[in-house]
Amino acid sequence: MATTATTKAGRFGGRQRSRTYSLERLERRAGLLFALPALAGFVLFILIPMVCVLLLSLYKVDLMTYTFEFKQFQYYDKMLHDADFWKSVRNTLEYMLIYVPLTLALGIGMALILNSRMRARGLVRTFFIVPYITTYVATLVVWNVFLHPTEGPVNTLLMSLGVDNPPQYMVDTHWALPMLALIGAWKDVGYHCILFLAALQGVSRDYYEAADIDGANRFQRFRQITLPLISPTSFYLLLITIIGGLQAFYQMALLTKGGPAFSTTTLTYHIYRSAFEFYNFSYASAVGMFLFVLTLALIAINWFAQKKWVFYQ
Amino acid sequence: MTLRSIVYLLIGFVFITPLLWMVSTSLKYENQVFERPFVFIHLDNVNWSNYAHILTQTDFLTWLWNSLFVVLVSSCFRLLLAALGGYAFGYLRFRYSEAIFFCFLAALFIPYQLTLLPQFISFRFIGLLDTHWALILPNTIDILSIFLMRQFFLSFPKELIHAAYIEGSGIFRSFARVALPLARTPLLTLGLLSFFMIWDQYFQPLIFLHSKSLYTIPLGLQSFQTQFGKQYAMQMALACLAIIPVLGVFLALQKQFVESIVSSGLKG
Repeated sequence: MATTATTKAGRFGGRQRSRTYSLERLERRAGLLFALPALAGFVLFILIPMVCVLLLSLYKVDLMTYTFEFKQFQYYDKMLHDADFWKSVRNTLEYMLIYVPLTLALGIGMALILNSRMRARGLVRTFFIVPYITTYVATLVVWNVFLHPTEGPVNTLLMSLGVDNPPQYMVDTHWALPMLALIGAWKDVGYHCILFLAALQGVSRDYYEAADIDGANRFQRFRQITLPLISPTSFYLLLITIIGGLQAFYQMALLTKGGPAFSTTTLTYHIYRSAFEFYNFSYASAVGMFLFVLTLALIAINWFAQKKWVFYQ
Repeated sequence: MTLRSIVYLLIGFVFITPLLWMVSTSLKYENQVFERPFVFIHLDNVNWSNYAHILTQTDFLTWLWNSLFVVLVSSCFRLLLAALGGYAFGYLRFRYSEAIFFCFLAALFIPYQLTLLPQFISFRFIGLLDTHWALILPNTIDILSIFLMRQFFLSFPKELIHAAYIEGSGIFRSFARVALPLARTPLLTLGLLSFFMIWDQYFQPLIFLHSKSLYTIPLGLQSFQTQFGKQYAMQMALACLAIIPVLGVFLALQKQFVESIVSSGLKG
């Protein structure tokens, strides 16, 4: 069959010196042609912008005349001596410290609920996923009123329960960032829940039966069997959550504008403000490069740490 | 089992309380928003006028149209690039295709805010700023979509393509007539995912668009919030309207959606 196939295909290649060779060569040539749109998109919208960011961080740009002036590492120097920058690094890490563990823990908890024997599972599953699919900005508009410090339903409820000074959420420097992390986790956890559930359903019942014979209790079963067996999924989700957490922006833009008193200005919001409020694209690019390096570093650390806890069957 | 089910159901309800409150408030008058005691819905006095007002007095329908336009055009191009690219990297292969694909994957770690900075400057330079194309063009390339299509075509049976060659099809025709129809499921998956992803985008329109007539739904919502800061019932009605299209797609295709998340995640 293969020879006839190549005869036909050979027609397009022109030469028929070696039939299999020409089919392969033809496919390779077509392969490049097929990949061309994707390659063009990659070069135009990822590769070139990436090189440009690097250059932007070294040049001063005049947006009126589009002229560039080489400034060496001046913008990085400025960044390292900028108190706002260090504040935003701190805020980003603080956000991550709440957002990442919270999302993973909630995700696994919700998946365990859905994996247990229960009624109305479909309904509960829908409830768990709905925030993930709804328009982010729309949910933030809701949260904005929901957590209103004096009139919002949450604080009205707290006050009617006898709490005299309920938290002020978005206007309190201590509460704002954790609340944004909480809202981020609430929004994203549906994705984690779906993937954890799929992983839980992939665990063979034989392991649990063996554990029952050994007299393991529920907690031991979870620790010793479930967690190791779903660890590849946990690892994948950990990476996704780190990347997503570092890029968080919507909550800051819509709920706090980075405030109060810069308490929610994360790196992404710092980049946004520098570029689109102060039109300092070079400085924003330098901070952006830092964010990129930070992402790579956190991914690398976890990549090497995975040997300690990720268990591939 | 029944008690446990009730507890779990309650957890589910608590989880979506803000959204239930949104629906409830959108059907109230402004002076009822923070009323005490709380009433979920005044059955004898449901206020539909918030919705009527938004649909007739605001630009909501323009935003909706803009969003649909951007999402559909971006998704079509994205699927086309993913199908062709996936076939190239997964089935046909070419010189250095593995190395190039590795570069693609490395780009997954780039924060999207980063590439938007030079994109803004270059779009401003060539006059694409304040057009929908500034949103659509960068959205056409999506590494994850290409990755998923590549995974699909990696395990595609060669016999099927070779049979098409025997029948006289060229490489392109065998792709269009044999490979593409069989890739319906992963393509639907990707279409669904990109619909939700692009619909949600806020940062891109925020920096690329200035004219109100071009706003997409997230940006329209935000401008509305600034403009009508105190009209909470109205804001909730608008949030509801913004969610209805995605919620509708989700509820209609929930099973496929869950499967698409699983297939995109576990192989990733």
